[in-house]
Amino acid sequence: MEFIDEIRPILGKYVITKKEDLIPYMNDASYFTGEMPQAVLLPGSTQDVQNIMRIAYKYDVPVVVKGGGSSLTGSSILKTEGVVMSMLRMNHILDLNLNDKCVTAEPGVRLDDLERFLEKYDHFYPPDPASSRAATVGGSISTNAGGLRGVAYGVTKDWVLGLEVVLADGTLVKFGNKTLKRSLGYDMTALMIGSEGTLGVITKAYLKIWPKPERIARILAFFRTIDDAGRAIAEIKEHIIPEMAEFMDKISLDSVPDAIKYPQGTNYALLLDASGSKETVQRRKEDIETILKKYAIETRSTMDETEMNRIYQARKGLYASILKLREKEGEYIVIGDIVVPVSELPSALKEIEIARDQDGIRAALFGHIGDGNIHANIFADLSDSQSMERVNKFMMDMAMISVRHGGSVSAEHGIGIEKKKLLVEEMRFNDNMRTLELMKSVKKIFDPKNILNRGNIFD
Amino acid sequence: MTKLQDLIAEAGKCVNCGFCESVCPTLPAAGFLSTKGARGRVDIAKFFYKDDSIDPSASFYSCVDCYACLTVCPAGVNAGKVSEIGRMILAKQGKAPEIAKMIVELTMRYKNPLGVREKCAQWARGIEFDAPETLLYTGNMYQLMAYLRKFGKLRKFFGQYEVQLASFIRKHPSSVSIFRDLYDKAMMDKMNGYLINIVKLLKQNGIKFGYLGSEEPYPGTFIYDLGFEDEFRDYARYVSELFRSKGVKRIITVDPHTYELLKYIYPRYTEFNFEVVYYMDLIGTHKISGKYAVHTPCHFSRYFDFSEYVGRMFDVNVEENPTRCCGGPDELLFPEISENISEKRFNELSKTGLPIVTACPICYANLAKDDSVTDISSILLADGERVSSASVH
Repeated sequence: MEFIDEIRPILGKYVITKKEDLIPYMNDASYFTGEMPQAVLLPGSTQDVQNIMRIAYKYDVPVVVKGGGSSLTGSSILKTEGVVMSMLRMNHILDLNLNDKCVTAEPGVRLDDLERFLEKYDHFYPPDPASSRAATVGGSISTNAGGLRGVAYGVTKDWVLGLEVVLADGTLVKFGNKTLKRSLGYDMTALMIGSEGTLGVITKAYLKIWPKPERIARILAFFRTIDDAGRAIAEIKEHIIPEMAEFMDKISLDSVPDAIKYPQGTNYALLLDASGSKETVQRRKEDIETILKKYAIETRSTMDETEMNRIYQARKGLYASILKLREKEGEYIVIGDIVVPVSELPSALKEIEIARDQDGIRAALFGHIGDGNIHANIFADLSDSQSMERVNKFMMDMAMISVRHGGSVSAEHGIGIEKKKLLVEEMRFNDNMRTLELMKSVKKIFDPKNILNRGNIFD
Repeated sequence: MTKLQDLIAEAGKCVNCGFCESVCPTLPAAGFLSTKGARGRVDIAKFFYKDDSIDPSASFYSCVDCYACLTVCPAGVNAGKVSEIGRMILAKQGKAPEIAKMIVELTMRYKNPLGVREKCAQWARGIEFDAPETLLYTGNMYQLMAYLRKFGKLRKFFGQYEVQLASFIRKHPSSVSIFRDLYDKAMMDKMNGYLINIVKLLKQNGIKFGYLGSEEPYPGTFIYDLGFEDEFRDYARYVSELFRSKGVKRIITVDPHTYELLKYIYPRYTEFNFEVVYYMDLIGTHKISGKYAVHTPCHFSRYFDFSEYVGRMFDVNVEENPTRCCGGPDELLFPEISENISEKRFNELSKTGLPIVTACPICYANLAKDDSVTDISSILLADGERVSSASVH
């Protein structure tokens, strides 16, 4: 392959072509298996990335960029023949400026590593997807990742100040910079966020950071109905914005019995964080608990670091831990991800519960109640076509429930290959097909040969 | 269940979230090549289950068995276990690396990986032993580190011809005698000194024990770790029978690998009715004066909380790396990965500015990159002498 012959002298041992070494790159965290790459490339610098793209462009070789491989929609696997470019070697934190409230990082930095680094300076980078242990800066920007702190801090797009990007032909461009404000025509930084590796390769990110809350109190509340939980969170948000506001159904709770024990009668639980200074956190915690007690069977809270971490990690690991509850070997997890306006969440969730039962699906429901984001961990036998038909039907039902409630078919996982059809359905439902055409036009301008993540988002 | 079924039962619990990969020490040490990281090993296992024409040996054999992956997996998947089962399958199929086969065959023949049992017993010359029913069992582990360091240099010298070297030794096992004097003298002196420390500590605490001298066999750690289960079963039977014939009732181990193997692995493969203890269980502990950066051996973390020992004795001030791996298990087959891991761990410990303490000969050999590193026995002995001298005055 001419492409490989030309790239090998530049990347040396970081050009991988042995079959056994290519196998792991056929997967990400979704249930899809991609094509086996013709090669895996591990660049160590922006210059390496430019060289790879320049040569790939010359030979029309499709390239899929991969970060931590935590995509849940198949956006980091190959859909056609081509190569995978893994960004994990580019994992350096390049600069921190507390005055500018900006950290500069390479794309392969894992979010938890960034968190540990910033913690030393009493700061943090708020986007906090549940996959933060594995997810990288580049990957989370590419999917506009959200997370547990979304209720208070929004999602990735709210925290990216600027990007350095290598385009499909190897040209290096800079979108944005370290400044908090910028009015410079089209917001090219925003265009890159959520583009899932289809427009360019992120090689450097300027990220906004924030002082860490002095103290956190973690509160658990258990409810008979989602209505009770919905009313509680609505009343809380009238007065206080919690640092985190999560909900979990009973199946979700059953998958983490060591971390969270629930009282009899529980069907839903809320997990909330109150934050503030040493002086204010206690008062906020009490204010939240007072409201919760009006609706909940039981509430409990802790400020013990070990206990708080146990609960937090249990919530973050739900996608994987739910598999402990599978009824037979071979069952896998397909995860749904929709968003509705916060006020619509309880009614949307009830419709989802009905659809789940009607579709004959076993699924745990959980998510970010504070920002209207609902996840479904669906048990699926990938080898059983009937089972997968039911799963796909349920995914479509969830999607249509979300758009009917004024929401969207993807909250924070992106489109990938999983939601291409759902994306079209949402656009069609909203009589908004022109937007899809505009997106395709943008793709053509950025990547005329369609070599970047070909087949992702749309065909 | 067959081993292949065991493999898929463990790997099949995985949803590929990648949490394991973020703490796997071999992934960054191998240049972020996924096959040599925890998640990649699980992916390979799933693929291997369907297509055994692939060669997954580099993936499975490069795992250091630290089980860091298990500590972060929300689904309780043990990628280390996946590698362990994978190695057993490969060894049974005759697909283990040539050097692994050489080491196993030499151990089976000489009861020591390099046929140097006499040399390994020299540290005890002049020491009086008694009470053979309680056995001080070094398993040659401390002593062999001096050989492994030289062996590593020899491998570098042979470079790409190391497989041929291993094949030659397999065909001519007596040629292993070339290793007898190929050891790092300074390392041997250190290691012998640590064993003498342990003897002194035990004697100070009134413990009576015997020692098998040049009859002492290696415990078979490599045989098990390299996946040679059938051979390990035979070897464990031999060792067990030897102990029985010597009237042994209780075995005092001095390193985490031997402790784990005898206490938890041997009973799965042979009748092994001996009480197995770790020497620190017998010597009593008190708060050690001074501050140290204590490196926890991963083989201790698996079965009990070594930090409990550490917490009782040391004012520890180390930002603990969850992997706790020194890189040692990869030294034989993947020296470059091993070196990268040990370098990283040494730097983590070193930046505390404190003296570094290890409690395992393999950890010591891999982390002793300068004089700041010492075996825990030295600290315990020195502090014991300080306390006893203080009480006299």
